[in-house]
Amino acid sequence: MIALNWFSRTPPAVAPKPEAVAPEPEAGGVPYAMHGTHQGQQLVVDYDLLATWMGFADVQRRTLDAIRAELERTSGHVESATIDLSGRFRELAGKALEQSQRVAEIVSVAGSVSIDDERVPLDDVVVHMQSMIAEMIANIVQLSKRAMSMVYLLDDVQKDVAELETSIADIDSINRQTNFLALNATIEASRAGEAGKTFAVVAQEVRHLSQSTGALAERMRSKVDAVVNGVRNGHEILREIADTDMSPQMLAKERVDKTMDSIVMQTGRFQSVLEEAAAVSQEMSTTIGHMVTGMQFQDLTKQRLEAVGDSLSVIAAGLNDLETRTRQELPPDMRITTPDAWLDSLLSQFKLSDMRQRFVRQLLMEGSALDLHGALDVDAAHVDSLGGDIELF
Amino acid sequence: MDYGIELKEQEAVVALRGRLTFNDHAKLRALIREMLQNPVKRQVLELGSLEFVDSAGIGMLLIAREEMGNADKKLVLRGAQGQVKRVLTVAQLGKIVTIED
Repeated sequence: MIALNWFSRTPPAVAPKPEAVAPEPEAGGVPYAMHGTHQGQQLVVDYDLLATWMGFADVQRRTLDAIRAELERTSGHVESATIDLSGRFRELAGKALEQSQRVAEIVSVAGSVSIDDERVPLDDVVVHMQSMIAEMIANIVQLSKRAMSMVYLLDDVQKDVAELETSIADIDSINRQTNFLALNATIEASRAGEAGKTFAVVAQEVRHLSQSTGALAERMRSKVDAVVNGVRNGHEILREIADTDMSPQMLAKERVDKTMDSIVMQTGRFQSVLEEAAAVSQEMSTTIGHMVTGMQFQDLTKQRLEAVGDSLSVIAAGLNDLETRTRQELPPDMRITTPDAWLDSLLSQFKLSDMRQRFVRQLLMEGSALDLHGALDVDAAHVDSLGGDIELF
Repeated sequence: MDYGIELKEQEAVVALRGRLTFNDHAKLRALIREMLQNPVKRQVLELGSLEFVDSAGIGMLLIAREEMGNADKKLVLRGAQGQVKRVLTVAQLGKIVTIED
């Protein structure tokens, strides 16, 4: 029989109880009247119940320790995983930012081309080229007009030269008649005898004059022939030039214009797509930044888990204290029973084999129930099969 | 190239048919002379039936305009189609000669 004063720190006198070792608290327990000094009430507690309570307290304390260790372990896992993830996310954010910068770089040069180390907007290039082509075509048009004017001019020159040829022929004809007349005059002068002598001299002079005129006409004809040949050749070359049709080259402008428009349009489209891509990369980088910030929840979780662990330590210390004090009140040979059913039910909660092993180590191998459960054998048999489903009980 | 002239009260309408190329230069000169001789001020070249014009043809049209200008007459190119219309557009002849559809 024992009298316990739960409110006093001084242990009361202990009376040994011979039949205290009972397997079940209900069966064969001897009730004991206890005086509550403050309340003035009596509480009957038997040794078996206390022993059972001690068993529970022991297991609970160990359980609390195991839970605390598990909390620390889990918190550590989450922390290292979070640090790793944060690092990777930061790297990802950096790369997304880098990508957006590269794309932005492309966008900035996409709409322009480099000419003599100077960036010129594509629109300006196209306008410039189109005006150059237009100018070229205007030149072709003017050239065609001048060539045709020249053709008409040489047409006229040819007609004039032909007239010149006719005129020279006329001179020849006149000259022949003059020569004929001079010859007749000479004949008539010789018939006139002495009286015609003077006239014969004049007639002879006329013949000389006619011969000179004939020689002049001949020289003119040869020069005119040279001019005619020159004009005809020039006319022929000019015809060839004017006959070279430049209209296909002029019409090539249509194709060039369409091509230029297409290039400008396509570049514009590329640019807008690239701008979108740059914006998306930027957005990605920002989102990833938010994710990294969001992962700071781990810090808070760690602190909370530490607080929970500290609370568990305080409870375990309290339990230990109560156990020690109760133990002193119990007879020395009083056996403390382990609550096997409760223990089994607790351990069956753990589906993860490594976690269960840690609990077994904490609860059984360091406790008094080691022999009863043979946990060492089971643990040794299965220690290598990590993650496997170890059936301990 | 063939042509036909129709004299109206306000204008002379010259319809050109076929292809206007360098080979027609003599014919076009004769046409210009006819256009200069008729009394009407507004000379319209009707190009609807003209199928093709080469660069020499464009040059000749410009000479015609110049000749008309010198004689205080006005040249109008009207109703060009197909290749002729394209060439007139590309050559920006509208800046020099009046072009009507």
